[in-house]
Amino acid sequence: MIELLVPAGSIEMVKAAVDNGANALYVGPKGWSRRRDAYELTDEALREAVRIAHARGAKVRAAVNTHPASSELSTLLKRMEVWVGDGIDGVILSDVGVMAAVHRAFPLITIHASIGANILNDEDIRWYREIGVSQVVADTKLSLKELRVRREIEVGVEVLIHANNCYTYLGKCWMSPYHRLERSQDETGKDQFKGSPNRGGLDYRVCLEAWSLWRGNQDLWADRVALKNDAFFLLDDIPHLIDMGVRTLKVQGREYALDLIGRMVKFYRDLIDAYTADPQAFDLHPWTVRLAEIQAQRDLERAKGTLHLFEEARQPVGTCCQ
Amino acid sequence: MAISNMKDLVASDLSPYDAVYLGNLYCRDYEANFLEKLDDLRAGIRHCREAGCKVYLTTYAAPRNYFLPQIRKAIAVAAEEGVDAVEAHNLGVVRILRNEFPALSIHIGGFANVYTDTGALVLRDYGGTRVTPNYELSLEEIEGMAHSTSLPLEILVHGKMPLGISDYCFLLEYEKAWGMQCPDLCQQDLFLRQGDWAMKSTGKGVLSGRDVCMLEYLPRLVAGGFRFFRIEAVSEDPAYRRDIGMVYREALEQACSSAYEIREAWWQKIQAHAKVGLCNGFYFGQSGQLYIGNQQSAVGNQLKVIS
Repeated sequence: MIELLVPAGSIEMVKAAVDNGANALYVGPKGWSRRRDAYELTDEALREAVRIAHARGAKVRAAVNTHPASSELSTLLKRMEVWVGDGIDGVILSDVGVMAAVHRAFPLITIHASIGANILNDEDIRWYREIGVSQVVADTKLSLKELRVRREIEVGVEVLIHANNCYTYLGKCWMSPYHRLERSQDETGKDQFKGSPNRGGLDYRVCLEAWSLWRGNQDLWADRVALKNDAFFLLDDIPHLIDMGVRTLKVQGREYALDLIGRMVKFYRDLIDAYTADPQAFDLHPWTVRLAEIQAQRDLERAKGTLHLFEEARQPVGTCCQ
Repeated sequence: MAISNMKDLVASDLSPYDAVYLGNLYCRDYEANFLEKLDDLRAGIRHCREAGCKVYLTTYAAPRNYFLPQIRKAIAVAAEEGVDAVEAHNLGVVRILRNEFPALSIHIGGFANVYTDTGALVLRDYGGTRVTPNYELSLEEIEGMAHSTSLPLEILVHGKMPLGISDYCFLLEYEKAWGMQCPDLCQQDLFLRQGDWAMKSTGKGVLSGRDVCMLEYLPRLVAGGFRFFRIEAVSEDPAYRRDIGMVYREALEQACSSAYEIREAWWQKIQAHAKVGLCNGFYFGQSGQLYIGNQQSAVGNQLKVIS
């Protein structure tokens, strides 16, 4: 049975996720995941999330998918003891050093290589498999054909069915902190690396700005250049992904409104159930209509968020906060 | 320093440099990319040797499955010609090198995302003999990594810092409007600008608009035990490679010997080539586009005004 994995940026979202039929959810422990801390959970909330999810038969993964500073590694391992003790079922990581250290310290915990690890080919997957990773998130740019080959490798493949496809490869981009980086520590001493998606999680999405293109510093070549950046909602591909034996379908968006997350989870739950119940009779059309509504609400929320981030990116360092 | 093709290699004065990376890591369609033109790669390796340089092969930073056969071929040619090392930015390529070309030295490149000391050690155990820490690390963190891993680290001291890589070249959308095609488009010295922000674009590659400049800090780097300094000039012209190379050659000789004093002529050369100014990248823990050093008044922290 394919697993539906969904985000939970708050306890309410954990409830909405399990109520709407998620098989697994991922949460970000405060300070350590690839999102800003408003959408992360305190240790207490994380424990509560595990309790709620387990009571309903759902799994919980902790997303610790930023690259910490080397000096933070020992703190991370101590925090990990708490989360593992609280019953998390797996951990999502990006940094190869953290993967090796976590695998050494907690050999029984399942390690998922995050989208931030930017895994692009079969040799990549084998490499991660060898250092102790059991499931990998496929890059959003990979085609179905590229995903198919992976069945030979003994590894779970996780596919984002609803996410944003950046202009650059995710995890291989530091455009945002080039423009604005703010180093500040939270109350636990963790550096927030605000502005660095790889290190702190907050991304100012500067690639979406209205760029103009100049040749040298004299000639204006194009007034408004759009660096391709599409939201995508896989629909037609889902039956193929299920047939191919992909282990997990993942929904992105801890920052969205509660009702939107609820609707998205319900939509994909119903879709997966309808297809697996009777693949022959499955008709895509009604699903297309239902998804269009969800997509419109999602696009609106994201556009608002982006404008806010542009504004924040222009603030001098040290003058603006959460 | 990295050079993408034979034409550029022949036009470039290698005398300031100890070593050259051959190949363009961003794009398979880059004009006569050494990674695709294997006869040129052979000739290029010999050319560098004759110029007295060490020669390394670089490889694609974001290789999909269908890149791998060509990468294997390029590495095989490099191995036959006896290159001094191969640079890998992708861990799958690291695995290919270790398993299929065990005699080759492996340099771990800047896109391999080595952010932690432990990460560097994992890659050392996989055969990495030199590591470029991720560009986002501060100098303090890099010094810590050098100390705790004893690995030779490669440091970007000057040039356009890589900021990102895409699988999609948006410049192709403008072929008609500009009356220019691939592979000429991306070689036009193009900058993306927004207010006082600027990034250099090579279509699939995004680089810093400003030139990272560590001239003021060479003595600290030398004293810290660093020995491998990179000038990132893959998207620059031969005059840039020659002038910036000569400045750093002279500066390094001074930094290694006696009192270090930055010559006015060095600044002039550096500024003449920095189209939108200078920055220090992430070395001092601040936004990458800022210049932090003492020469702030001399180099200015503002984007150069477009005339």
